[in-house]
Amino acid sequence: MTEPAVTGTGTGTRAAPKLVLDNVVKDFSTRRRKTVRAIDGIDIEVGDGEIVCLVGASGCGKSTLLNIVAGLEQPTSGRVTIDGETIVGPGPDRGMVFQSYSLYPWRTVSENVAFGLECIGMPRKDRAERVQELLGIIGLARFADNHPKELSGGMRQRVAIARALAPEPDILLLDEPFGALDAQTRRAMQEFLLLVWQRTRATILFVTHDIEEAILLATRIYVLSSHPGRIVEEITVPFGANRGPSVLRDPRFLDLRDEIQELLTTQVER
Amino acid sequence: MTDTSLQPVPGSGPRTRSGTGASNLGDDPAAPWRRTAKSGSRGRKQGVLFRLRDEIPLRHRILLAVIGVASIFVFWLLAATLWSSGNVLVPTPLAAWKAFIDYWQSGELSTDLWASLVRVAEGYALSMAVGIVLGVAIGSFRSVEAFWESPIGFLRYIPATALTPLFLLWLGIDETPKIALIIAGTVFYNILMIADVTRAVPRELITASYTLGASRLRVLTRVILPHSLPGIIDVGRINLAAAWLMLVVAELLAAQNGLGYRLVQLQRFHQVDGMFAILLIFAVIGICSDLALRGLRTLVAPWARP
Ligand SMILES: Nc1ncnc2c1ncn2[C@@H]1O[C@H](COP(=O)(O)OP(=O)(O)OP(=O)(O)O)[C@@H](O)[C@H]1O
Ligand SMILES: [Mg+2]
Repeated sequence: MTEPAVTGTGTGTRAAPKLVLDNVVKDFSTRRRKTVRAIDGIDIEVGDGEIVCLVGASGCGKSTLLNIVAGLEQPTSGRVTIDGETIVGPGPDRGMVFQSYSLYPWRTVSENVAFGLECIGMPRKDRAERVQELLGIIGLARFADNHPKELSGGMRQRVAIARALAPEPDILLLDEPFGALDAQTRRAMQEFLLLVWQRTRATILFVTHDIEEAILLATRIYVLSSHPGRIVEEITVPFGANRGPSVLRDPRFLDLRDEIQELLTTQVER
Repeated sequence: MTDTSLQPVPGSGPRTRSGTGASNLGDDPAAPWRRTAKSGSRGRKQGVLFRLRDEIPLRHRILLAVIGVASIFVFWLLAATLWSSGNVLVPTPLAAWKAFIDYWQSGELSTDLWASLVRVAEGYALSMAVGIVLGVAIGSFRSVEAFWESPIGFLRYIPATALTPLFLLWLGIDETPKIALIIAGTVFYNILMIADVTRAVPRELITASYTLGASRLRVLTRVILPHSLPGIIDVGRINLAAAWLMLVVAELLAAQNGLGYRLVQLQRFHQVDGMFAILLIFAVIGICSDLALRGLRTLVAPWARP
């Protein structure tokens, strides 16, 4: 009997993989015809209803990876599939939330959330209902008619998440969505995201360089090395779906944190 | 040797703050930046008028604005008394005002003003239309940019005023050459500046729209255009001055009416007061259109208020 490969095809308990990255490589050409390998041989699987986190140092290719899944960039080689279908371009089946605020400043909160629904041609009445529902989930119903610049940073990211969730994507891609927030807001937003996940059962691929954030949120964690970005470890987080902030005091949480810290530190030294 | 660093060394030990009469800053020749004396306050207090990029009190603002306008009239009066006769004749503000009233009551003002306004409106509307279409396309598509970059870069260095004789030759002396000149003098600025406005749309706004399922056409009409709208209005406001410039050039050379034409007529009869009246009319038109376009900008894009 062979050792089960760390990044092998899922174990029995895991749901059928929704998103599959198979040996994905991305090169960027820079000046003087040189190429830089941003990510190399990435194999990732995300099952239905999972929150999977990618953790890695700055510049290790996390955004590149997410952009490839979103269809905003094409991999140099390798394949990305969702439910068996190859990704060739962006689409509303993969909602994305960016690190910096990307709301439409001329639209109100509810108009922002409605953008994706307009794109799929949903009738006005259904649209209004769905927007109401989502604003309820993110707790910003009172701010439906406000413009983004009247909101705080955390509120804006909540709107961005609602906007991405509106067209009911197969998978939600989050690229360090709380990176620009202060520590307290960040913690609140993490709990908010857990709540959204528990209520919507969305499949989420989350990028962060914050180890605690990864453990708090993820069902599984991929740790990436730098230059080029490779997966050095896949870790299954032992906390169930109904976790809360109490896991922050769980001894296993601290062990995991130290383990990942160790992995990333040896990466930097190398 | 362990504790020597903590012992006061005679002669160079703790500095005393008195006796030498040195000022509170810079009495240590080795470290002139070090603060050594207490003066009861810290930091440098700034006066209210010349803080870099800071607001000033409203009263001061109004006062300064009034002084600014008043000084124009003072200079004018001064010039009018200095040169009240001879070749360089400067009319008094009152004389210019009287000439304006005459001009108005004769009915010529309204015909001239209307003729000039229509020319500028027609020419500049066409120029803005071309500017918006081409500018947005150049700012949005690298292919369109690559195609137009060289032709526009080449053409825009031909001074538009140099085209006047050619346009008169080709297009006769009625309205067409005047409108063509206004277009020629503004369209390249409009295109290039609107292209810049369009390029300023944050990339993430566009990619986010794609991930929400927007087609390219939808991104163009629902993201790039609304984001560029206030900037396009600003471009229109700034380049409007060039449209008036081209209008006057055209009317000076060949016209039967219009403010520029009237200027030449008045010159023939040495009516300097009337000429001054027309210059002021230009200034007033400029200020009014500027205010109107600023108002339009806040009206259609209140979110973009700086
Ligand atoms: N368009 C590009 N052209 C050239 N190189 C690029 C390009 N985009 C990314 N890279 C390179 O690829 C590597 C990964 O970049 P990426 O933005 O994916 O990192 P990241 O992990 O998201 O970093 P951060 O945590 O700072 O956001 C970097 O070394 C970067 O220099
Ligand atoms: Mg990134």
